[in-house]
Amino acid sequence: MYKAVIIGGSAGSFQVITRILNSLPPTFPLPVLLSLHRLKHVRSGFVEALSIKSSIPVIEPYDKDQIKPGKAYLAPANYHMFIELGNRIALSTEEPVNHSRPSIDLSFSTAAQVYREKLIGIILSGANKDGAYGLKKIKDFGGLTIVQDPEECQVKTMTEASLKLSKVDHVLSTQEIIRFLQNLKQ
Amino acid sequence: MNVTSQDLQYFILTLKNCTKYDLTEYSDKSLMRRLQKILVDFNLDIPGLVAAIRNDADFSEKIVKEITVNTTELFRDPQVWHMLRSRILPRFKNNKTINIWHAGCSTGQEVYSMMILLNEMGMLENAKIFASDLNSDVLEQAKQGVYKYRFNIGYLDNFDKVIKQNPLNYEEFNDVPYEKYFDIDKVRDTITIKKHLTEKPIFRKHDLVKDGNLFFAKFDLILCRNVIIYFNYSLQNKVFELFHTNLYTKGILLLGMHETILGPWAAKFEKMGQAYIKK
Repeated sequence: MYKAVIIGGSAGSFQVITRILNSLPPTFPLPVLLSLHRLKHVRSGFVEALSIKSSIPVIEPYDKDQIKPGKAYLAPANYHMFIELGNRIALSTEEPVNHSRPSIDLSFSTAAQVYREKLIGIILSGANKDGAYGLKKIKDFGGLTIVQDPEECQVKTMTEASLKLSKVDHVLSTQEIIRFLQNLKQ
Repeated sequence: MNVTSQDLQYFILTLKNCTKYDLTEYSDKSLMRRLQKILVDFNLDIPGLVAAIRNDADFSEKIVKEITVNTTELFRDPQVWHMLRSRILPRFKNNKTINIWHAGCSTGQEVYSMMILLNEMGMLENAKIFASDLNSDVLEQAKQGVYKYRFNIGYLDNFDKVIKQNPLNYEEFNDVPYEKYFDIDKVRDTITIKKHLTEKPIFRKHDLVKDGNLFFAKFDLILCRNVIIYFNYSLQNKVFELFHTNLYTKGILLLGMHETILGPWAAKFEKMGQAYIKK
């Protein structure tokens, strides 16, 4: 019944993402879209690092790539990643938004418009407020929203901002997020 | 304010009817977002914007400029510049002339990066540099070659990675001083490209959608990075055709890190990493 999962994270989210990707069944039925901030000087090697432990393929997509289930799409460094109608990725080099490129808000809000109530949005640990607006957009379009428990986050600014801006469906620990995603398989 | 796709179509149609700009085949998502931003920035709704476009040519020009600004930086994606240095430019080393076109050059950082690299490789004298963009404001900035220093502090880092270090041999280190190519003024917060670089390129306002080749030259190398991401599939194909026609055989088209040729034109190029070589 869902069509995609989108995950946003920043400082302190790397290990959480790694654990999530590691725990997904190789037959995970949905695409996983990853909009993660990274340090400016660590532009390459990130996708490889995530791939090592992931049970599904992790791809840094090309512009206009078709989104397919069972694959993880990582927003390339220094690009915004949008989701277009027709289930395609679109990239952009517009100005950073809130000092961020990729901007989680942009990825989330374009995904919300495309997948509407069939989208799951997850915000993880991070040190700024990017993502809060995007998560609200997912909620506005009827999607399901999840925030990592701030108590568990290495940096909780991002999750707390998200909780403040909209009524989030679930606040979960990493383990609970994993269990939730594992149960999505039918 | 939420912009619907009907709003967007109405806006595109108005622009097409009232100006020389045709955004019909631009990618929807980025246009939608930029349209939204324009409405907020100018405090207009869709009917207000459309009326303004109909009545005020200067305003329309301004709107198109807002829509077509893209960011760039010196030596964006150092790994691409490593490839230029080690695998692409050496192919043209013995040419009497090297024609290079930066299509969609924005504020010009890529143009100057290329010239700096060519100069370090002893190839700048033989190079003819052409650069174009749809947006005359960014083109003006490109000609000036003056950039914010603090905002672009990563420039120096990229310069070190591409010009000072040799990725194929980490023991090699060329201590090329920044002052050879630009002046840094920390008080005014500017990086200014030296005159011997800014005087050389030929800059032209150019619309990839309909202007063809304005330079009356064929090219050894065309760089068009992070431009076609704003175009739809059919417009991309038209642009690939334009580039293919105007490249010499064995000439090279270089796209952005995450751009690729899909469709019929892919077969007419041989792929070498990020680079497409005309068959």
